[in-house]
Amino acid sequence: MAIVSLKEVKKTYPLGKTEVHAVKGVSFEIARGDFISIAGPSGSGKSTILNMIGCIDVPTAGTVELNGQITSGLTDREITELRHKFVGFIFQSFNLIPVLNVYENIEFPLLLGRNTPDQKQRKEWTEYLIEEVGLTDWAKHRPNELSGGQRQRVAIARSLATKPELVLADEPTANLDSETSEAIIGLMKKINIEMNTTFIFSTHDPTIVELAEHIIKLKDGLIASEYRRDK
Amino acid sequence: MKLIRLALRNLLRQKRRSILLGSAIAFGILFITLINGFTGSFIENVGENFSNLMAGHIFIDGVEKSSSGKDLYLIDDDSRIMDAIEKSGIEYNFLTKRSEIRGTLLFEGNGINQSIVGADWEKESYFKERIILKEGTFENLSDPHGIIVSSKIAERLNVQLGDHVIVKMQTYTGQQTAGDFTIAAISIDTGLFGSISCYANILYVNELLNIGPDKYLTLGIYLNNLIDTDPVTAKLLPELEKRINLFSRETTDDGNPFMAILEQQEEEEWDGVKYRLTTINDLLSEVEEIVRILNIAGLIIMLVLFAIIMVGITNTFRMVMFERIQEIGTMRAVGMHRSEVRALFLFEAFLLAIGGIISGYILSGITMFIISRVYWGVDTPLFMLLKNGYMTFRLAPLQIILNFVIVTILTLLAAFRPADKAAKLEPALALSTEK
Repeated sequence: MAIVSLKEVKKTYPLGKTEVHAVKGVSFEIARGDFISIAGPSGSGKSTILNMIGCIDVPTAGTVELNGQITSGLTDREITELRHKFVGFIFQSFNLIPVLNVYENIEFPLLLGRNTPDQKQRKEWTEYLIEEVGLTDWAKHRPNELSGGQRQRVAIARSLATKPELVLADEPTANLDSETSEAIIGLMKKINIEMNTTFIFSTHDPTIVELAEHIIKLKDGLIASEYRRDK
Repeated sequence: MKLIRLALRNLLRQKRRSILLGSAIAFGILFITLINGFTGSFIENVGENFSNLMAGHIFIDGVEKSSSGKDLYLIDDDSRIMDAIEKSGIEYNFLTKRSEIRGTLLFEGNGINQSIVGADWEKESYFKERIILKEGTFENLSDPHGIIVSSKIAERLNVQLGDHVIVKMQTYTGQQTAGDFTIAAISIDTGLFGSISCYANILYVNELLNIGPDKYLTLGIYLNNLIDTDPVTAKLLPELEKRINLFSRETTDDGNPFMAILEQQEEEEWDGVKYRLTTINDLLSEVEEIVRILNIAGLIIMLVLFAIIMVGITNTFRMVMFERIQEIGTMRAVGMHRSEVRALFLFEAFLLAIGGIISGYILSGITMFIISRVYWGVDTPLFMLLKNGYMTFRLAPLQIILNFVIVTILTLLAAFRPADKAAKLEPALALSTEK
């Protein structure tokens, strides 16, 4: 069963008196454990599709299924819980909480919701993630004391905090140099293999696109091409 | 716990802004605390000063109707009153026996209408501690005709120590007579109550009134504490009623017992002596009304002040919401519920309120300490409000708690709308908003 399934998904935004058709009817499926890139130029609908998969936006038409569950029609509480348990996010601008240090930023999602793990479990898992992203020496530092690459590593670790099955990364390398970008994608790939976590990342950088196994290229809100490469 | 910690760090993120908002709250608390503290001690100080001036907390006097229908005040025989005091078992500091002349003091063409209180200086030694002499000594009162006048009276009569003044007055029964006094001492003027600040020997005052040396006009019971006045009165009253004919202190509504007594005195006919029991609280009921009005005015001013502060808090939180809009989107994306976002903002408001209130109370404590160390003197119109020339403050714990709760609720109310708006933000919209 596909972990993500989009069927004829459309998204229209009002813009003054007109409407912007950001996504014009997109269907595709993503298998569990996939490492997939959604590529395309700016305005092609990459971020909108990621937002709808991540349940932070709703489609105007069509359905989005996560793990077999149709997301439209869920209450805000149900959607928030689904996001919390099932999806991790990595943002282009890192979006770390500036008043929390590296450890606290990564631990933060674990403190949300009803069934929070106990302190010992939280500590062990957070420290493991910090080590996994290579920031052990920076655990007590705040985001403004870190480089762009380090911040994105924190964001990757945070996205894995609740052990989600799916991680969405919206242009994770857009604010990074090419070397760091490759390192970040490499880290994501490593985690994808180690934890069997599904990664979907959007990018407009052709060199980064080629690092994915499953590539969906968008153009003007529609799928221009979709192909898989052998692992 | 996680939200409180995050809220605290968010507050510290913009230190200057938080300090400004907290200072506004602290100022409001300072203002209302000073008013509450002042009014809290106001009634006590006025009561104590009245007690000192009037020599007691509970007063008993006797009234007899003359043949012409005039009320004559005299305690002819106090044995039954003393018996009642003893049997009632009340605790008191001391008893005072006072006679009083109302007449005109004359000196070299100057005249002034004045009340002259006659007291037994030997027995009322405490009184010497409460009158501050500007000139002369209490020893000068060994002269039976000695009199203490306030500086204002001395100035108006243009008298000095040793001068002889004439008093034109009526005896107890209303006959015109005159007496002479020697200025034994000049006391510091006690503001509004300088007019009752002439004191002389009771024996000579009684002689002028043409009553016997053992008689007097008013018996004062000076208690250990002002707050004992009502319970002691309640204990004493039944014993007095058993022994003497007493005007009722009952009132139909919450009226003043003293006014009820005056009404009975005017309307009733009686034979012999009928006694009146009045208390310092009867006189203070008007002061209590002033205190009540002051407290209400203080509360209204506080609410207006906090309405202004609330507008500032609301606007600041709106600004904060906009500044942190992407952060809110991120927190919502990683699984924070709307209620938790709302709670986070409200915790910030709560901590701000707590910080402001505590600072306000600390500031109030320091201000009150400084003000209470300033000596305002006893010759000031504020005299009655002061305690031995110092301003004092008294705060009821309940009042402190009430103000704490009111200000906290107002701050939370001010922050609620922005907090609610932040909670209802759609994550996608929040994340895509450019600041």
